[in-house]
Amino acid sequence: MNLIEMNSICKSYRNIGFETRVLKDVTLHIEEGDYISIMGPSGAGKSTLMAIMGCLSQPSSGEYLLDGEEVGQLNDRKLSRVRNEKIGFVFQAFHLLPGVTALENVILPLVYAKRPPGNIKERARELLAKVGMEHRLHHTPGQLSGGEQQRVTIARSLINDPRIILADEPTGNLDSKNGIETMKTFDNLVKEGKTIVLITHDLEVAQHAGRIVSIRDGQIASDSDHEERGSIHSL
Amino acid sequence: MKFFSSLGIAVKALLSHKTRTFLASLGVLIGIGSVIVMVAIGKGSQKEVMDVIAGMGENLITVNAGEMKRRGGRLRLTGNVTTLKIRDANRILEEIGEVERAAPFEEKRMTAKFGNNSAETTLAGSTADFSVIRGYSLQSGEYFSERDAKTANRVAIIGMTAVKNLFGEEDPLGQVVKVHFIPFKIIGVFEPKGVDTNGLDQDDLLLIPISTYMRRIVNQTHITRIFVQASSRKNIAKASEKIRELLRETHKLTDDRNDDFTLISQLDLEEMKLETTELFTKLIVGVAAISLLVGGIGILAVMLISVKERTREIGIRRAVGATRRDIICQFLYESLIIGFLGGGLGIVLGVGLTLGLTHWGHWTLILDPNSIWIASWACAGLGVLFGVFPAIKASKLDPMEALTIE
Repeated sequence: MNLIEMNSICKSYRNIGFETRVLKDVTLHIEEGDYISIMGPSGAGKSTLMAIMGCLSQPSSGEYLLDGEEVGQLNDRKLSRVRNEKIGFVFQAFHLLPGVTALENVILPLVYAKRPPGNIKERARELLAKVGMEHRLHHTPGQLSGGEQQRVTIARSLINDPRIILADEPTGNLDSKNGIETMKTFDNLVKEGKTIVLITHDLEVAQHAGRIVSIRDGQIASDSDHEERGSIHSL
Repeated sequence: MKFFSSLGIAVKALLSHKTRTFLASLGVLIGIGSVIVMVAIGKGSQKEVMDVIAGMGENLITVNAGEMKRRGGRLRLTGNVTTLKIRDANRILEEIGEVERAAPFEEKRMTAKFGNNSAETTLAGSTADFSVIRGYSLQSGEYFSERDAKTANRVAIIGMTAVKNLFGEEDPLGQVVKVHFIPFKIIGVFEPKGVDTNGLDQDDLLLIPISTYMRRIVNQTHITRIFVQASSRKNIAKASEKIRELLRETHKLTDDRNDDFTLISQLDLEEMKLETTELFTKLIVGVAAISLLVGGIGILAVMLISVKERTREIGIRRAVGATRRDIICQFLYESLIIGFLGGGLGIVLGVGLTLGLTHWGHWTLILDPNSIWIASWACAGLGVLFGVFPAIKASKLDPMEALTIE
């Protein structure tokens, strides 16, 4: 069964009378445990696709089934719950709360959780240790380097044990050493059974994933999965 | 759990902007503080007026000759009516059960002389009951005797202002003052009593027996006023009604004629003065309401800035699972806390000022517990009212747009 099933998704913005179509009829299916990269030049619609996938934004038309649930039908409360429980976000700009310690940033999703687990702090500490940040628990984002902030973000994305990790240019703001570290973390997460969607324009990063989807002008230009299947069929 | 976490978030956010939080609550602080002080001033002045009215005499009913009309805020007699007589006073006392005392009264501004000193004063004629009804008490000396009244003796009791004007530091008792070339022997001195509701000095007075006054000063039989004391406060209205009936009868007024006298009771005076002080109270409450509104707008401005400044934070919270409601709660709690902080400090300020002014200043302020109660509700109301709009605005932001805003 597909964990993510997007059928004919369109998204357009209306700006001073002009309609900009960012996504045009995108159909994309992702299975549980998939490791997929979405590539494309800037302005192609990658981030918009991720926003819809992460329930941060609603499509203008089309059908999006997440874990068998039609997202377009959900109200704000249920949509927020989906974001809280099923999805972990890793952003290029980190998006940590300023002035709040690493530990509290990691705990943040549980503040909004319907049934938060018991030993919240212990769990947050473990996750920070997992990304090698056990020595920086009480530092605020301003006191951390970019690589460290990204690791805190990854720990935060994992705190509520989501099935999907959506990472938008996770290495975009990092030097190559930190970038490699980050990608290693993702590689390990796949082994733990998480479904990972990477948005990137860096081919080297994209190649960590088993499947690469290219987007151009709001449409899927190529999908390595289909090509393989296609080649299998052509054989 | 949810409530406390939202509250915690709000407190943290406010603590990280201490100056701004304080400035936002300053408007509410001043508003609430001024409401409490203003109401206390209003209550205090109301009590002062009531004290003055009570000081004019307990259960007092004044019978004035002629019709009385209000001009320039004061009651003035109109016309020259000669129907009110001393025997009216006697009949009121004798025939009406609810009346405790009645004293005929006549007065005139005249020049009194002592040695080389002369001063204008109020020469008043009445009986010894006058001082009881009007609440004058003797500082030294004695009242008129019945014999003084019968023989129209030239004796007088003097008020403190007249004492100062005529005698200076000298003891007036036993001295003789001349009014209209008639010598009066001072047999008593009144305790000072202060001003009445119209601001007239009640101590500028030379009281002589009414018989003496009528015979030696004016040579007339009609009087302008009778002071009546009802037997109790609740009998004032009944006594007034009976006095009216009695006077209409003795003055032979047929049904088609108006009263040729005017009754003013202590209750009437209180009512009149209350009208004035209530108007005053309404005025200050209005002013206070405006200052509270300004305080609320302060909250509104700060909250709008806060929402704008924290757009990205809202986006982050939404991305990790905060619902619209969570965001509304967070900002609403913030404005509520600002409201309560300002309100709490305002109550402290208002109560402090009230107590301070009463203690150290020469003000009569009465702290109204209701005003504190209402002030608490007002600041909660202000917090919600002026926080709702920014909070809803914050919650309506699209999470993705909020995240990408610069």
